[in-house]
Amino acid sequence: MNLKNQLELMIAKKVLLVGNFGVGKTSLIRRFVLNEFSEDYISTIGVRVSKKVVTYKNEAIKLMIWDVAGTNADEKIPKAYFLGASAAMFVFDVSREETYVTLEDNLKMVKELSGLEKITIVGNKKDLLSKEELEVVVDKVSLQIDLLTSAKEDENVEDAFMELTAQTLK
Amino acid sequence: MIPAKIENVFIQVTTDYTGVITNIIAGKFAINEFILQELIYDSCPFLEGTLDALSLNETFLLEGMVIFSDEKEFNVDIELFKHEKSIDVLIHNRTNVYKIVDKLNQNRNDIFFIKREIAEKNIELEKLRKIADKANEEKSRFLAMMSHEIRNPLNAILGYAEMISSEKLNTKVAKYTKTLASAGKNLKVIVDDILDLSRIEAGKLALVSEQISIKKIVKNCKNDFKHLKTNEDVALVFSTSKKIPKFVLGDAVRIHQILANLISNAIKFTNKGSVKTSVKVLSETETEIKLIFEVADTGRGMSKEQGLKIFEEYQQNELNDNRIHGGAGLGLAIVNRLVKAMHGKVYVKSKLHVGTSFFVEISFAKTSKIVTSFKQKVIKEKEVNLKGKNILVADDDVLNQTIVAHILKEEEVTTTIIYNGLEAFAKLKAATFDVVLLDINMPNMTGEELMQQKQDFSSLNANTPFLAVTANTAKEDVERYLALGFSGVISKPYTKADFIQKIKTVFK
Ligand SMILES: Nc1nc2c(ncn2[C@@H]2O[C@H](COP(=O)(O)OP(=O)(O)O)[C@@H](O)[C@H]2O)c(=O)[nH]1
Ligand SMILES: [Mg+2]
Repeated sequence: MNLKNQLELMIAKKVLLVGNFGVGKTSLIRRFVLNEFSEDYISTIGVRVSKKVVTYKNEAIKLMIWDVAGTNADEKIPKAYFLGASAAMFVFDVSREETYVTLEDNLKMVKELSGLEKITIVGNKKDLLSKEELEVVVDKVSLQIDLLTSAKEDENVEDAFMELTAQTLK
Repeated sequence: MIPAKIENVFIQVTTDYTGVITNIIAGKFAINEFILQELIYDSCPFLEGTLDALSLNETFLLEGMVIFSDEKEFNVDIELFKHEKSIDVLIHNRTNVYKIVDKLNQNRNDIFFIKREIAEKNIELEKLRKIADKANEEKSRFLAMMSHEIRNPLNAILGYAEMISSEKLNTKVAKYTKTLASAGKNLKVIVDDILDLSRIEAGKLALVSEQISIKKIVKNCKNDFKHLKTNEDVALVFSTSKKIPKFVLGDAVRIHQILANLISNAIKFTNKGSVKTSVKVLSETETEIKLIFEVADTGRGMSKEQGLKIFEEYQQNELNDNRIHGGAGLGLAIVNRLVKAMHGKVYVKSKLHVGTSFFVEISFAKTSKIVTSFKQKVIKEKEVNLKGKNILVADDDVLNQTIVAHILKEEEVTTTIIYNGLEAFAKLKAATFDVVLLDINMPNMTGEELMQQKQDFSSLNANTPFLAVTANTAKEDVERYLALGFSGVISKPYTKADFIQKIKTVFK
């Protein structure tokens, strides 16, 4: 069997990244898939889907990563996007309070739309805050944050997607 | 414009359940990306994982998905329909719509980020404003307090100087007293300046708009400065244009203050030559007249840089100017603010070692009424004599008491002096007085507290006028005193003439 066919037969898992504008969803995906980062903010229009094969517990899994265009609190993500999704990551920006003050409500909404039980919560741009400031943010956020990441400095990005992958298999 | 062919903006294909394209039914949009017997996932990665999850016999819509074709990105809407053995895939290309959406989105993002920055800056500004407000409040409180604290001893200094100078003195002592008095007066000017400036800053300075005569104001300045002038080598020249109307609407006190400040500033810096004050008409409309006031001296002049800074607070050009010329350097700052408050303009032209000219341009409304020749009834001041009047004075400050006692003795008044509010209260219950002079800040019972209980001594002093003797002369203070039932306020520091005059007014 050639490589292409192998890839095609591999199990594909659909995962979504959601969260406000500018929190770094696209950047996290770029870092994870292409190992690139750019300071420019190029607003994502429409849904872009990236593929990456990961190995989790000795099993190769093809992640179909949906970068859902920036949404904000009063904009609903179309339910159709979640069809067949195995996991979702909610990304917020640790340096912008408005991206996490309504975290609880946003998460509830995502859970309702996706039917998923657990959503991976990621606080991005940790490079912008000091350790102390990060602690303050962690305290402010009422829910358990799974990972604090920096797409810019490539910190915990891999781990965040691994956590997401783990969710797809549950 | 050629309308796009309909077939170029959509494509409809059929796949099996594993995503292999089995048929291309219609349309040509991105046709090269859709190859029979190949997986549709290469061109439509979003269908991977989605196709499996579709429900049977239901239309499913995915909006705003991204597709690549010929190196270009397209935003498309996808309609899916799952049959028993196949899946219909309809793709509409809506690039144009999305181009606009794209732009809107970008704009929205820009606005979003700008908004965020503004919000952050606003929070910062709000914090800074609060700090500044607090500091300003502190400053005002401090100034009010200090001016009060300074005015009281100043009153004593001026009062005693006046008292001493009315005695028979040898020439040496007379000269010393004169110096003492003049230093005291200078200090008073500074204190008043500081208060004025802080009042203007706090927006508490209300300009009045009444019928005023510019010529008269200039004349008054002339008299003031003639009287004060000490340097024979400097000629004081005053002139007003004939075209200036008899009356305009304005604030005489503040115009006078502007001119007086400019003139005294000019005198300070001129050793020889002249200080010329002139007023001319700059322009005129039916309702308004713009005047230009010029104060020109032949003093040491200043550089351009100095000229730019001259209206700032505490600004005197040479380090030791304060020592040589006195004053806190507030005069021009006050001029600047007063002129601004009058919506006018002030500027300076100067040449080093030649001289300086200050210009003030102010527009005045013309008085609409022509003042008819009816003679303003001059209320001839009925000569009031204080002789034999029974006056109660309450003041806790011994220095002040002595001054008051001295002044009143010369008027042959029967004076009762007591040291605090409680004593005053007792006296007022026991006897009737013609006038009561109350200090405000007294121990035991303040002047204000005493007034609040005036019904308790109304049997003997129901119609007795009360005068507040105080250094608290802010508008709101005076209003409060009048509301409490005081007939007037004698402000500290006062001159003997002021003092007597004020008391006499209550007998008119
Ligand atoms: N300092 C820093 N900036 C980041 C990080 N991640 C993303 N950004 C920047 O944040 C902006 C928005 O990122 P983007 O990925 O487009 O956000 P999205 O709207 O959630 O997709 C861009 O200017 C990125 O360069 C990070 O970890 N640290
Ligand atoms: Mg994005």
